[in-house]
Amino acid sequence: MSTIAPEKYKENASKGIADPVLQKALGGLQDRLGPATEKLYNSQPEGHDMRPRAHQFRRKAIDNLDVLLSTLADKVRGHGGIVHFAKTAEEAVEICKKIALENDVKTVVKGKSMVTEEVGLNLALEKEGIEVYETDLGEYILQLSGEGPTHIVAPAIHKTRREIAELFTEKLGTPYTEDPPTLTRYARKALREKFLKADMGISGCNLACAETGHIVTVSNEGNIRMSTTLPKIHVAFMGMERIVANLEEQQSILRLMSMGAAAQEIGGYVSYVGGPAQADHSDGPQEFHLIIIDNGRSKILADPEFREMLCCIRCGACLNVCPVYGKIGGQAYGSPYCGPVGAVVTPLLFGINTSADLCAGETLCGACKQACPLEINLPRMLLALRSKLSDGDPDWQVQPKSKGENLLFSGWQRLNNNRKIYDTLLDLMRMLQHLLPAKQGMITRLPWPFSGWTANRNMKKLAPKTFMQQWKETKEKKDS
Amino acid sequence: MTTQKDFIGDISTALGRPTPAAVDLFTVAPTTAEQDILKNIRQRSPGERQPFIKTLQEVSVPLHLDFHPERSLEDIRQAIITLILEKDPEWGTKKSVVRWDHPLLNSLNLEAAAELKDISLYTTSPVAATLSAEERQQQRQQTRKEVEESFIGITSADYCIAATATLAMKTRPGQARSVSLVPSIHLAVVEESKLLATLEELYTLLKWDEAEQAEGLTNNLSLVSGPSKTGDIELVMVHGAHGPRELHLFLVADRS
Amino acid sequence: MNKPEKVTLFIQCLVDTVFPETGAAMVTVLERLGLKLDCPSNQTCCGQPAFNAGHQREARAAAVKFLDIFEDAEVIVCPSGSCVNMVRNHYLELFADDPKMLVRAQAVSMKIYEFTEFLVDVLGVESVGARFPHKVTYHASCHLNRFLGVDRQPRTLLAHIDDMTLIEMKDADTCCGFGGTFAVKYSEISGAVLEEKVQNIVDSGAEVVTGCDMGCLMNIQGMLSRKNIPIEVKHIAQLLAEK
Repeated sequence: MSTIAPEKYKENASKGIADPVLQKALGGLQDRLGPATEKLYNSQPEGHDMRPRAHQFRRKAIDNLDVLLSTLADKVRGHGGIVHFAKTAEEAVEICKKIALENDVKTVVKGKSMVTEEVGLNLALEKEGIEVYETDLGEYILQLSGEGPTHIVAPAIHKTRREIAELFTEKLGTPYTEDPPTLTRYARKALREKFLKADMGISGCNLACAETGHIVTVSNEGNIRMSTTLPKIHVAFMGMERIVANLEEQQSILRLMSMGAAAQEIGGYVSYVGGPAQADHSDGPQEFHLIIIDNGRSKILADPEFREMLCCIRCGACLNVCPVYGKIGGQAYGSPYCGPVGAVVTPLLFGINTSADLCAGETLCGACKQACPLEINLPRMLLALRSKLSDGDPDWQVQPKSKGENLLFSGWQRLNNNRKIYDTLLDLMRMLQHLLPAKQGMITRLPWPFSGWTANRNMKKLAPKTFMQQWKETKEKKDS
Repeated sequence: MTTQKDFIGDISTALGRPTPAAVDLFTVAPTTAEQDILKNIRQRSPGERQPFIKTLQEVSVPLHLDFHPERSLEDIRQAIITLILEKDPEWGTKKSVVRWDHPLLNSLNLEAAAELKDISLYTTSPVAATLSAEERQQQRQQTRKEVEESFIGITSADYCIAATATLAMKTRPGQARSVSLVPSIHLAVVEESKLLATLEELYTLLKWDEAEQAEGLTNNLSLVSGPSKTGDIELVMVHGAHGPRELHLFLVADRS
Repeated sequence: MNKPEKVTLFIQCLVDTVFPETGAAMVTVLERLGLKLDCPSNQTCCGQPAFNAGHQREARAAAVKFLDIFEDAEVIVCPSGSCVNMVRNHYLELFADDPKMLVRAQAVSMKIYEFTEFLVDVLGVESVGARFPHKVTYHASCHLNRFLGVDRQPRTLLAHIDDMTLIEMKDADTCCGFGGTFAVKYSEISGAVLEEKVQNIVDSGAEVVTGCDMGCLMNIQGMLSRKNIPIEVKHIAQLLAEK
């Protein structure tokens, strides 16, 4: 279970950096998935056009979200499904709770869904005495250990086989083994019982198709198919932006999502769910509920600077290349949405001020944008968030983050605007720098506000003469 | 509770309506490229499909999909009987097999095989619309029991996509979706004429082919590429997470 | 573009104040190619640190000053991909709502080049006749590589340096962890990213690490020095100026 605590970014990042198991796992994941995904992008029959075109498809869908959601709702109802609209997290939870209570639901099995994490569904159902089981193996491990996810697609990669072995022995009572296939079999057996007895299955929605009226779920384990086939009720949670207009656009984005998520041409199991079992069918749920959730998304939609973020399909490709994520891991972000995508989505959904460190704590290297199957410009949005934090923004209820920093930069600007003062200050600094501890021309400890630099590296001293001085002198010599 | 009107209204406001919606949201006619794809599929000869079989063979390996070489119905029947006899059930000791009610599978006539006389062979029959709600419920419960009990599930597929070894299966009366999901081993028997080159061909058919359009995607269309798998423990690939541990594919040669 | 009459130098502030030898090396290379140079001595920082930290007002002021100084130039050349990215791409964003300034920014955006980009794409030069008998590894800095799309150019120039062995390090195009004020504000994270970069440099077996951005190279140098690793850091201009 993840609690929302982005304000602990630095603290949690420290923990991540100090964890050798996590470091090894993140390194292995990035080495494996980053290049493999890039290779797949470059080998598609559609050529290099595929990603910019898919971006356009998504953008068109977001720009016409009202039309598409109405169409989807009509079609799903036509298939015999029930559609709910939830403006807030609380409302989404209430709707699901009501369905569960009305149907006397005792056991719920869940396919991996980030939006249910966002709205805090599990806790609310458990409070009603309903047993809730995460069924994605990684999520199941985290549910047993009571932790938040490290990665969008591989949530439990920070756990070693030994830790999982101990966890299973303690919680499932299975014989101790560190063999991943055997451990997987234990979970398979434990969860099979839950699948067979569950009376409600909950899934997310990777990307709905408006014209056909289907939500689409993707998994490799088959847990989402199990959750949406066996229980008598299927409830699907869908962030309102997870939709695209037509089937040809849907397939293109679906394939890109599979490449971004796991370097696959297509996920192992892709299900198009349009409604409950039809009357003459011999299996499938008797009821299908679709809960479409806003929870702050229409605010993002209304802001032209951030609307692009709604194009995101949460594949996690940006995690697999981000140098910062690669060191701190997903738990540092204190949100169900981690990595570069989380650094933009978390502030927008849960508050920009509380997520200030998420906005500022990246290098802006651009690897995320390059790896994104939809070429979403995350660095641009990080910059926009930082700008709001320095100036404040009443529309987003942002307070200026640091008066001290603002003063520093306005002072810097005055200096920068006048080369004479600039040079005078440089002269002063050149004198003062001799007071600083140094070794072979390299300063080993800088004073505040630059002290962070010398926490782990040295700094070359200012040169005796600036390039500009040298240039002038050479020029004068030439002229004379 | 938020009504659809209010919910959508907020979105329209956020979008700054009344700007008109895009005109090309729901495409109504295939592009020239899509028409070419449709023509290609329809005019394809069995000979032109042979390279797809080779692709399928190659793609099956990394996916851990068992692609069997038998092509005639009789050989396939024998291979399936062997599999049923040789494989062990994962849960318990009783051997039961469940299959779709599907013309191709019916023609295998497994029920007549003397070797299988000790094995329960179930078929997921359509639920007759004439039955009462209670009777329908009873039949579904019976099917569910049989599917849970079976260690092998046999289905066909609407299409098989060579480039990704993907089986596309719509849900229809008699073609229960749990048959390809709950048993530990999934056997799929597909006619070679259902072989397509790429996912692009599949989607073009689903979207524009008249028969496909008339039927729609149905309330549940599954695309299955290989057996169930997970890498959630230290990124070690393990097959058989929740779905079938094994997926065996048989292609029935064109009889024309 | 034909060979320009005169090249105006835009010297990144770090080069100006900490690494003037990089600027001098660039001058040497350009003069050897027979180019006339000009260097407005009242130039300061392009505003990137402020922009990246979210202080757009201050960045805009720096940009106005930059445009005042440089807009009459025939062509502007700078030994930093990051600064060129700021002027070429981000100035346009800064003035998106100011049509008059936007026109000025666009004009400058069209005529500013990163040093290696200028040599290869504008002048059509692949070899400058340099010789550097050492083992060198190249760090592909992020803004240069991803936002300017400049990677082939420096690699072409490096490939034509006589007697030099170019060793590709692991993940050459992964960030070094600099990120401007990020390195100071989030020094632990920055240091962890840098640690991996430095390890890859060490593992390459090179004697010298080079690149096109003194920001990244200063960062790398800082940790090499802290760890007493005797690998030298040199801007690509310094290698190209060697005979």
